[in-house]
Amino acid sequence: MYDWRADVRARLGAARLHPQDEAELVEEMSQHLEAQYTELAAQIGSAAARERLLADLRDVRLDEAVARVKHRAKPPRARIWASASILRDVRYGLRSLRRSPGMLAAGIIALALGIGLTTVMYSVIYGLLLKGLPFQGGSRIVMIYRTDPRGRGEEDLVPFADYVRYRSEQRSFAAFGAYTQGTASISGGDRPERVTVARLTAGVMDVTGVRAIIGRTFVAADNAPDAPPTAIIDYATWRDRFRGDSGVIGTTVRVNGTTHTVIGVMPDGFAFPRAQQLWLPLQLDSSALRPGEGTPVTLVGRLRANVDLAAANAELAGLSQRLAREHDDTAAVRDLAQPFVRATIPARVYSLLYAMLGAVFLVLLVACANVANLLLDRAANRTREMGIRLALGASRIALVRQSLVESGILALLAAIVGAGLAQIGITIFTRAVATLQTDRPPFWMDVRLHVPVLLFVLALAVVASIVSGVLPALHSARFDINAILKDESHAASSLRVGRLSRVIVIGEIALSSALLLGAGFMTKSILRLRSMDPGFSTSDVLTTRVTLSSGDSTQRRQFFESLEAKLAAVSGLESVYLGDGLPGTQWNGSQVAIEGHTYERPRDKPITRVLAVSPGFFRTFGITMLQGRPIVAADRVGSANVAVISESFARRLFPNIDPIGRRIRLGSSDAGGDWLTVVGIIPTLYADNPQSMQNRRPPEVLTALWQAKRISSVSVAIRGPSGVANAATLRRAVGALEPDVPVYAIATMDQLFAETQWPVHVFGTMFVIFGIVSLSLAAIGLYAVMTFSVSRRIRELGIRMALGATTGNVIRMVCRQGAVQLVIGMSLGFILGSLIVRGARAVLFGVEPSDPTVFALVASVLAAAAFIACIIPAVGATRVDPVVTLKSE
Amino acid sequence: MLTDELKKGSAEFLILSLLDAEPRHGYDLQKLIESRSKGVLTFNVASLYPLLYRMEDRGWIVGRWVEKSGERRRRFYRLTAAGRAALAAQRDSWREFVTAINQVAGVRYV
Repeated sequence: MYDWRADVRARLGAARLHPQDEAELVEEMSQHLEAQYTELAAQIGSAAARERLLADLRDVRLDEAVARVKHRAKPPRARIWASASILRDVRYGLRSLRRSPGMLAAGIIALALGIGLTTVMYSVIYGLLLKGLPFQGGSRIVMIYRTDPRGRGEEDLVPFADYVRYRSEQRSFAAFGAYTQGTASISGGDRPERVTVARLTAGVMDVTGVRAIIGRTFVAADNAPDAPPTAIIDYATWRDRFRGDSGVIGTTVRVNGTTHTVIGVMPDGFAFPRAQQLWLPLQLDSSALRPGEGTPVTLVGRLRANVDLAAANAELAGLSQRLAREHDDTAAVRDLAQPFVRATIPARVYSLLYAMLGAVFLVLLVACANVANLLLDRAANRTREMGIRLALGASRIALVRQSLVESGILALLAAIVGAGLAQIGITIFTRAVATLQTDRPPFWMDVRLHVPVLLFVLALAVVASIVSGVLPALHSARFDINAILKDESHAASSLRVGRLSRVIVIGEIALSSALLLGAGFMTKSILRLRSMDPGFSTSDVLTTRVTLSSGDSTQRRQFFESLEAKLAAVSGLESVYLGDGLPGTQWNGSQVAIEGHTYERPRDKPITRVLAVSPGFFRTFGITMLQGRPIVAADRVGSANVAVISESFARRLFPNIDPIGRRIRLGSSDAGGDWLTVVGIIPTLYADNPQSMQNRRPPEVLTALWQAKRISSVSVAIRGPSGVANAATLRRAVGALEPDVPVYAIATMDQLFAETQWPVHVFGTMFVIFGIVSLSLAAIGLYAVMTFSVSRRIRELGIRMALGATTGNVIRMVCRQGAVQLVIGMSLGFILGSLIVRGARAVLFGVEPSDPTVFALVASVLAAAAFIACIIPAVGATRVDPVVTLKSE
Repeated sequence: MLTDELKKGSAEFLILSLLDAEPRHGYDLQKLIESRSKGVLTFNVASLYPLLYRMEDRGWIVGRWVEKSGERRRRFYRLTAAGRAALAAQRDSWREFVTAINQVAGVRYV
């Protein structure tokens, strides 16, 4: 009897049918051929019969039958993704994950760290930027600002006269308003206070759509230039200052010395436009103004329901062109509407936030790579299990799904842990923001695990499970059953897994060396900042701000002079300073002309920072003269105007000349400004520059406060032990002179100085965390891969040792493999890292993005981590008794 | 000998008719068609099985492995409800066709 099965199977050879389908097809056809052969052989002889049937079998028409069987093997989607079979996979996945708790824990920790960090960053972005204003239809509220295409594209305010025209001509906005922001002193009641204030047109409250909880908001009549002064207070002021008295409406409050009638109380949490506590009507007269004139104001509008941003901008463009033509200004200014929240965030903060989000995504990617490796390792160990399931009739897609379900379970658990970690991170972030005193965050900022943030976490989990699960899944789907079932030692299959793992580890090392490079530069910045000598002392100094809103310039000068005298008389205080500002914070900038120099164009004049100081400046901040004399009490109005310059000023603007006795003039105009005689040189003081951490030692000029023409607001600093130099001393001194003047922004010099550096500290610390997390993940990944590959080579290593390889030989062999991955990964990572560092240049301090010491340090940290990850499995391999390994199979 | 086109069209009709009586396996079908057509219609594995699988995919017939005691299991094809409907439709159109041919050609069966 001739057996046709082999011939049929050979005919199907390349079709790669599902094993079960193949078996059935072979059986059906071979039975057919067998029966036909028996009959045919009797008629034409067995040889001829076989020839003919073999020819039939070769017929191409048979391919259609094979194709149909193969097509049927792909079950419809509905069946494969049916919930019952998914549930079965979940149960099976849970059971099999529970069998390897170590892997489960490692995977969850890695992914949870990645998800946690990403969630913190995202919740900050969401809470500040994406959530929008907490008003009904808040997303329709826009801010309108002016851009001058000839300038640096900076956002500018719009003159009041133009606002009035817009208000009457625009059709895009359902409500339209203008405001200015500032601070004001309120008094009357127990003590004077400095509050943030906004002056509004009635339309602004309509734009927000928020009503007063008691009383009313402004109406158009309140904005008339001669209307009686009114005020709206915020909830906290009402609760604290007016003790929640519902009869507050109609009572008065003194604002900057003028009596205002309280007409309304806003609801809790309302602080529009930013962090306002008090609202006054904007009372401006536009009748005499021509287009382009008037107080600069910020415009806000609420888009009509059927108008989108583009349409509103088109209308604004038309209106602003018409205005420009009317007062034949060649200035091609453009007024642009932008979503309110987006418009209030400076571009550099915006890009920094998204850069940080990008960085944490890299950490998450490293974590995913780690988990992919763990799963791949597991897939290699389960090669036989998968092979048997396939042979028993599982479809390949079912195996892929099984793998994805397992990585999905892992990612979901990690997301839960990660959300917990994020909650901790958010708490730390919120506390850090709460310590900021000079710049209160906008009222709508609310960083929490909002529902959309949690959805984001869920999306992260899904992405993470796919990213980390798809490679192992595809790997298990590509099995050749026969090879697996025959391959007792898994040598062939693990070789393929090994190669994939090594590529993943190279990717991990690349990403984490990029992040580590960022962390290295940030660490160096932080260290540089810590060890930097700012040129002044910050300890034992308490500072405040005092503003006079009433009185003429003589009265004001007298007030500040008496304040200086009063504080100087306090026993125990070492020194007292009054001036324009404080060292290490923002000063005024000015152009400067050197006597004897000619400047072709006004803008050729150099720029310098300027601070008007009282004689106490030098003692209070411990500043010693390099040359000449400090500003002294005798430098008053009437005496020759003097200036003290910084060493950086002297070096740049008086090269090779002795500056003492030379004269300089501040200001941009050629005529105005007095000539100042340089009397002394001080060391350069560290400068605050909110735009960047670079260039912190610009030229500086100190002038004499008491030679200034007008003084209305000063910074006060007192040095002394904290028992004397405290808020009470400051309040007492000011209160004794003028009870209505508030003492505000009280802070120690240490606090203030730390605040100017907070971007470096906060973002630097975050980068360091990213770097450390990703380094640990990459090291663990490398360790896992090395351990895996050593375990697969244990027989080979045993044979080598039996043949005389020394312990050293074996360790070298194992480590060489790790070293290759390290070098490739690190080279790629450094390229990526340099780009990141260049992008984050704004928060680098005292270190260049190409600093070779940082590169070297990061390389050695990576090398050390990699060495540890390799040496442990390598040493383990040498402990193996060759005899045992050789006998093991 | 019939042309391939004609054979293809009629083969499905024949198989449906044969399976209408009882379930049969592949070789059985091949032999029956051959013997009843007196050798005018012939099949081999390469032409029969694509046809059977196509009809199976169409839902006209269904193949089941049947084990009878003392024999190897064999795959028997039987008609489904859809197959029966298809058969009825084909019988009707065949009858119409034959009638039309008769009227034109004047051939007459007694």
